[in-house]
This record gives sequence, C-alpha cells and structure tokens, in this order.
Amino acid sequence: MRDVPPNPSTSLADRNLAASSSSRRRQLLVALAATALAACVPLGVSDVYAMNVMILTLMYLALSQSWNVLGGYCGQISLGHAIYFGIGAYATVIVYLKGGISPWIGMVVGGVFASWIALALGYFCFRLAGHYYTIATIVIAEAALLLVLNWEWAGAALGLQLPFGPDSWATLQFGRNKLPYFYFVLALSLLTWLIAWWIEGARWGYWWRAVKDDAEAAASLGVSIFDSKMAASAISAFFTAVAGGFYALFVSYIDPQSVFGFQISLLITLPAVLGGIGTLWGPAVGAVLLIPLGELTRSYIGGSGSGTHLIVYGALIVVISLLRPEGLVSLFRSSKPARGAQA
Amino acid sequence: MLNRRDLLVSSASAALISAAGSPAFGQSSVEDVKIGVIYPFTGSGAQVGVDARFALDTAADIINEAHDIDLPLAKGKGLSNLGGAKVRLVYADHQADPQKGRSEAERLVTQDSVAALLGTYYSSVAAVVSQVAERYQLPFVAAESSSPSLHVKGLKYFFRPGPHDEMYSIAMFDFIKHVQQKFPGTGATVALFYEDTLFGNDTSKVQKRLAEEQKVEVVADIKYRANSPSLSSEVQLLKSKNPDIILATSYTTDAILFVRTMRELGFKPKGIISQNGGFIEPAFLSAVGEHANGIISRASFVLDLATKRPSLKAVNDLFKKRSGKDLNDNTAREFMALIILADAINRAKSIKGPDIEAALRATDMPGASTIMPWDRVKFGADGQNSSIKPVMMQYGDGEYRTVWPEALATRPLKWPLT
Amino acid sequence: MSLELLLQVLLSGLLMGMIYALMASGLSLIFGLMDVVNFAHGEFLMVAMYLMFGLVVLTGLDPLLLWPIVTVCLFAFGAAVYLGVVRHALRAKTNRGMVQVFTTFGLGLVLMGLAQSLLSPDYRSIGDSWIGGKSVSLLGIYLPLPQLVGGIASIATFSIIWLMITRTDFGKALEATREDAGAVALVGINKDLIFTLGWGGGAALVGLAGSIIAIFFYVYPSVGTSFILIAFVTVALGGFGSIYGALAAGVIVGVVEAFSAVLLSPALKSLGVYAVYLAVVVLRPRGLFGSM
Repeated sequence: MRDVPPNPSTSLADRNLAASSSSRRRQLLVALAATALAACVPLGVSDVYAMNVMILTLMYLALSQSWNVLGGYCGQISLGHAIYFGIGAYATVIVYLKGGISPWIGMVVGGVFASWIALALGYFCFRLAGHYYTIATIVIAEAALLLVLNWEWAGAALGLQLPFGPDSWATLQFGRNKLPYFYFVLALSLLTWLIAWWIEGARWGYWWRAVKDDAEAAASLGVSIFDSKMAASAISAFFTAVAGGFYALFVSYIDPQSVFGFQISLLITLPAVLGGIGTLWGPAVGAVLLIPLGELTRSYIGGSGSGTHLIVYGALIVVISLLRPEGLVSLFRSSKPARGAQA
Repeated sequence: MLNRRDLLVSSASAALISAAGSPAFGQSSVEDVKIGVIYPFTGSGAQVGVDARFALDTAADIINEAHDIDLPLAKGKGLSNLGGAKVRLVYADHQADPQKGRSEAERLVTQDSVAALLGTYYSSVAAVVSQVAERYQLPFVAAESSSPSLHVKGLKYFFRPGPHDEMYSIAMFDFIKHVQQKFPGTGATVALFYEDTLFGNDTSKVQKRLAEEQKVEVVADIKYRANSPSLSSEVQLLKSKNPDIILATSYTTDAILFVRTMRELGFKPKGIISQNGGFIEPAFLSAVGEHANGIISRASFVLDLATKRPSLKAVNDLFKKRSGKDLNDNTAREFMALIILADAINRAKSIKGPDIEAALRATDMPGASTIMPWDRVKFGADGQNSSIKPVMMQYGDGEYRTVWPEALATRPLKWPLT
Repeated sequence: MSLELLLQVLLSGLLMGMIYALMASGLSLIFGLMDVVNFAHGEFLMVAMYLMFGLVVLTGLDPLLLWPIVTVCLFAFGAAVYLGVVRHALRAKTNRGMVQVFTTFGLGLVLMGLAQSLLSPDYRSIGDSWIGGKSVSLLGIYLPLPQLVGGIASIATFSIIWLMITRTDFGKALEATREDAGAVALVGINKDLIFTLGWGGGAALVGLAGSIIAIFFYVYPSVGTSFILIAFVTVALGGFGSIYGALAAGVIVGVVEAFSAVLLSPALKSLGVYAVYLAVVVLRPRGLFGSM
C-alpha cells in the first residue's frame, strides 16, 4: 500500500469495524466450529469415494475462496485462475522431481512464483475494464497452456508423474489413505477463509470494497486502486498455486490440460459465483453444493454416454444465477443485505 | 453445512451401493464377477466410450451366454471354473481427466469391489489408473491406451495385450523399407504431421529416432494444435516441402480437416501413412469419401482377417447388431481385452487380485484363439504383450484391406499415389 | 519463404479471418446493444451447424440454398433465448455482470448436453456440395471455394449492417437504445422489442457463419469450443460493440494466425494471435475501435 488514506474514510472504517466486531467474532466461531465438525467426519466415513468427493469439495472451497479475494472483494472477474493453479502444480512436481526438494517447499515456491506472475500480469491487465479484463484472463491462461504443452523439459503433453513410493508425510504421498489429504486441504480451506475474514475487517478490505463499489469515489478518497488490486491479485494467486500443488500431490500425475485447462478456471470461479461473491460463506456454500453434485452426476449417470449430467449442471447454473443473483448464501441471511456484493 | 454435505454424499452412495450389491431375485447363488470399465462418456472423446461399451457388452455376452464361436469362454455360460459365474461390467466416466479417472477407479475398487479394471483409451488417464491398480493389488488391463510410457514403470498389475506406439512406428518404418525396395526411388523423405497431445508427442519421438536410424530424411516436422479451426498453413508447409511420405498422427476431427484441406489446396501427397487414430473412424471415412483412397494405416486389427480367424465374422456380426458399425482397431482391442481378462479370471478360479495377476502372467493364448493378427497373447515381466506384429492396411473401394506383410495381404499395395 | 507460399498463406489467412469476423459480429452486436457477452456463442454456432447438417440430410439440397433457412431459424432461436432467459438475467439487481456471464454460460452447457443426448457425440460432416471441397487456382495459389464464398458473404454482411445502422429507422432506434436505454422508452421506442430483435440479429449472424463453416468443417456437440476463444479475442481486439472493429480484428487474427503457423510453429500459432491481442489491449484497453 502506498499511503494511508485521509481521515474521512479511516474514521468511517473504524466506526464500521466497531459496529460489526461482535458479528465478526461470531462468524469466526462458526467457522472454527464448522472446521472442527468437519474434522470429525472421517471418523464416521471411511469410504474412499466419499473421502475423494469431500477432499475435492474442500479443495475447490479453498480455491474459490482465494479467487473471491480478487474477484469477489476486489471485483476483478478472472476466468483464468488456472494459470496460477497450473504454476503451483508444476512448480511442486518439478521442484521435487528435478531438484529432489520436498513438495512442501515446492508448494510455497509455486505460490511465490505465482504471486510474481500475478503482479506482472496485473501491472498490464488492471487497466482493462469489465469484460475486457475477463477475456484477457482467459487468453493468458490459454497462452500458458500452449507454452507448457510445448515445453519438452517439463514433459510437454506427456505431463509429469510422481514416482510410486511408500506412504510418507514428507512427500505427501499416500496410496490408500485419504486422511492426510483431507486434513491438509481442510486446513487450507480454513486458512483461506481466515484470510478473507481478516480482509473483511481490515482496512484493506474496506479499500477493496470501495474500489469495487465505486472506483471514482474511492479514488477521490485517496485509495490507490492499482496497488490494492495488485495486493489482492498476489494473495489470490499464492493460495491458488498452493492448492494446485496439493492437487498434483493428490492425483500424483499432472499434464498441461488437466491443470491449465479452462475447466479448472471455471471450477475455481463457479462456487463463489453461485454461493455468493464477495461474501465470507459464498465459496463454501457453492463448493458444498456444486462439487458433490458434479461428482455424483458423473459417477452415477455419466457412464451412460448421454449428456444428461451436462444438462443438469448447466440448468442448475442458469436457475441459481437467475433466481439468486446475490448467491445462495442469501438464503441463509435474514434481513441484512449482501454486503459489498453490489456490482 | 459440512454435516449436510457429508450426509448427502454418504446416504446417496449408501443407497447406490445397496442397489448395486443386491443380487437380482431368482438368480443362482453364484456371485457375478464385476469388472470396472473406465472410459470417456462425455466431452470430445465421448464417442470412443460409447463404441467401447458396445464392444465390451458384446464380449460379456459371448462370455456369459453360450455361443458357437471358437473363442475362449464362448461355448459355455459364464466362467466355468467359478461355478458358471457371470461377468458383469461396471462402467465409469473419466471425461479424459486423470483426476476423475483416479477417483472413479478408486470408487469401482472400494465401492463396487470389482475384480479388475479395464480401460481407458486416454494414456494420461491410464497412467493414473495403473497406479490405483497397483495400490489396491488388482490387475488393470489397458485395452488400447498405447503410450510406451505406460509399461516401463515397473508396475506389477499393469497388462497390455495390444501393441504400444513404438511397436507401431517400428512396423511403419519396416514398411517404408519394404516400399523403398519394392518401388525404388520412393519413400526417401518423410514429413511428420502430428497433434500436440500425448498421442502425437510419443509417436513423433519414436518416428524421429527411427528415421535417423534408417537414414530416411525428415523434411518437415509439423506439430499442430489439436481441434484447430483451420489447418491451411500446416498443409501449406507440407506442400512446400513435397515429401514422399506423410506420417500422420491425428484424431478424427483433425483427420477430417487435414484431408479436406489438402484437397482444397491442391496437394496430392505421394503417400500417407497414418498412426491409425482418426483415419480409420467411420466418421472420417464418410466425411472425406473417396479422398481417403490410398491412405495407409498401421493396425493391429483388420476386418479382412476373417478368412484366417474364423471367429471374427461371428463376433463382428454380434457387434454390428449392437452398434450398427463394423469392428475397428479400437473396438477389436477392447473386445479382446475383456476376453483375455475373463479367461485369466476363469483360470485363476478366484476373484482375488494377486490370483488374477498370476493367471494373467501365465496367459499363453495362441493367435488362433483371438480375432487379431497376433502370434499369441503372452505378457512379459513389464505386462506388455510382445508377440504382436502390426500390419499395414490401405483404404480403397470403401474399405481398409491388409497390404503388408505380403503374406497376410488381401489386396496389392497401390504405390505411389501420384 | 517463397513468394508463392507467402501469397498463399496471406490469402488463406485473410479468408479465414473474414469468416472469424462474421462469426464474431453477432457477439459484438449483442454486446454493443446491451453490454452482455454471450458465453453460449460457441454453442449457438454448434446449433447452426447441426441445423445445416440436418437440413442437407433431410432435403438433399445444397447448403447454398439452405443458408437462409438456418439464418431465419437462428434469428428465432436468438429471440427466444432473449425472451426466455436473458431478459430475466437483466432484471437482476445485484451482480448483473456475473449473472449475465453465468446464465449464458450455463445455457451453453445445456445446449451441449442436449446435442449429445439427442444427436450422439459422433462427428458429422456435409459431403461434397456445389462449393464444398472445391477450389479455384490462380498461378499456383489455391483459394478454397467455401472460404472464398465465406469471405464474400462476410463483406456483404458487414456492408448491409453498416447500411442498416446508418440509413434506417431501425438502425437509429438501435443506436439510441444503445446509448441510453432509459431515455428511449420516453420517446416511445420499445426497449424489450429492440433487445429481442438485437438478440435475433446476433444469432442470425451466427447462423450465417455456421452455415458457411459447416460446409468445410465437421460438427459435434463441443465444436463451439474450437471457435469461441477466437471469437472473444476478435471482439475484444476490435473493441466490444464496434462492428467495423470486428471486421478489422477478424482479418488481423486470421492473417497473424496463418503467419505464426509458418514462421513460429503450427503448435504455437494461437500464441501469435494472443500476443498481438494482449499487446493491443495493453496499449488500447478498449480495443482498436472501442469507444473510450
């Protein structure tokens, strides 16, 4: 951040902070309780498939919450987050395979690298408005896909596979046991939620909402739009890449299409959009509904070869978008308007 | 919320498990042998899955019901050594996504308790499914995924009855040698034309190596983006190099556009040898019609083998009744994969993974017991069947016929094309 | 590079570019009118191509005779999509941009699923026709007839759109609605009607593009994905809402793509296009002809 904004906004922020601090504490307690509850679920469920579905759900929850930091709070609708996801996945595997370095470090390396890329891209792209920005993000992710697809050293189209080894926490490789993945990704979801929670309360969050609600008014208050978007972008990219690294370890095989493809960008965005963008609970509600639905429809009606599950999935997106433009999270809300969700 | 989600998942899956697990009323006490089958059933590769399903259902029918066909397990009903148990196929959709392939493989193994896995067409998915099989110690039979990277990983439970891309490419270069000798002055230069996927990459690597070894000059090396809206620059590049032979590796969509574009740009190559793929698909043949004439493809299966493999006609008739199509290289390999797997399960007299693995490893099936032009089915330590000699077939008069090796040929080779 | 290769690549790129422009024009028209990006645009193209294929199979007539039917059908389809879905999306009080993106996107998925259920995922294509599979050659340069006709149709269409916007009352109403949708209601122009016609018109343009592409391309449920990104890039490069921008950008995209394939590598030909597009929007955030 470049400088401290002048008094009017600071005092406004402080007043809001004080007014909502009790509600914020309640939110935090709910999140911690939900996490604790979720942590107990594997005690009762041992089915591998159910575990897989839950792990994926939590992974997309974390991803969508990371996306929410930029897309929801800052209003930059990116449909190209696969680039950060892919960078995280490739960095983690490459650092491990080619350098023999622990994938735990690899995930952080991927995160930092993705943040740099996000800053570099943000420098050029944040001057684009609305649909121009969205389309640029799609194109940039597609360009990254093409580059990796032609990068022989990184396996090109063959992709990279983690060697088949014994179960180990050091490499986060487990054959049949899904519990470690579950707890890792649960912790990651909580972490991304806490970041969003912290942003909502912190001054940054007020600035970003100001940027989103009315850029001109915010600028006149002295908020540096550009810097705040850059910060949002770096944080968002970091956690997206960490989740990408997790995905690589979880599946143990990556290729350009499966980590840089448009379908990843879409699955990162959809939970937040349908759950409620720019809200704390939107990504969670969206992911919990959408990911199991996608998995179950594919598993139990997808094998027929008809397009039924595409129809179900697409129709659901249309219906939710039309009936609940502010997201499903609004169903749980009594009278309070969706804060900062105005476009 | 997390609670509700979990409830949804577990209750839904519990309902499905109980539905799938309860034997149908009135059946004998012998339990079905379940085999997990993983293919793409949605997305751009969906047709492959749909066709595979026809082939595998045909094979299951031949195993489960009595048929007068000279194939293993065809005569009796079910698996005789397991009290006549029936083979039941449990299908899953991987959408060409390795993560989904992994998840579905694990579901089939843990929820449906399948005895073995079969699939997957896409080699990227096969790479992941073969790992799951290894973890759970049950066999995975790769019916047609042909990446050479699959069998070199030291996996115990991986089996591939069909050839891999390297064997195919070697056969293609043997064929080129044959052409050079028989038609002097042709086949000195080749151009590689391949898509930017695993299929294209694997193939082109081997082809470049073989070309160097055999001193065949590679005049153009063209990797193109799959499903491109236009291939005119690519074809123009080929045309400007005027190679003797184009070695093409493409799926159906690009194969259609490639042949059409060559025609539109007035380019008549002297020879096209394709790495199977899209060039043998009915959709391709009907799209380009007579312009497919003269195209050569490597194959591990040709329909005109019927004279040498009497069971083939009967199988093809059964398959055609279901699908409305003739068997092709993919569907024939899928069909055979299930027969070979079921034969091993029958000999193992058990549905335990390690027992089936041992039985598969002991497999020694003469070529005459298959519908393929293979010498035999016998797996090496790496799980690869090495007793295969791919053949070359050429399109003409509305069908592909074997043209090489000459001992198997049913039509003389037409060469060069222009 | 020989002169012959140079000319051939240039002309191939030019013709393909005009088809891209035609395909993108519908997207641009709808956006210019009401700020909505149709994310189901690729599936509209798929519908048009299937329709052409089906008509050829059913009637046995030549695609050149059938394109008006496809265009009219797509007009009705576009209008129905506006009345049935998009109109409701416009009523959203919050998150309007997102609602529009995802309702059209979801609609695209439904269309793709329906195509797969009803028509199977198999690849289909139209065989030889009056112009399909034929080409004219001049001094060793080959121009495929379908693309040549596509290029001519593209220029004719853009001329007609230009005449319509500048010379007719409808065009003036369109322009006025585009500038201030609230004010036009006061002077008695029915905004809903204009939008319905706008969506119909946009879809009709896709219908025309699909009719031509179906002559030389193949059809299957996800065929839209091969074209959709090019359409987006074309529209963003030319400037959303600018019809002439779409024409200029389409030609640039076609030519850059063709030359990238020859000079860079065929596998990276789209990269050349993306690079040019990104360079332009960094310098001109609203594209070449977008209003600032």
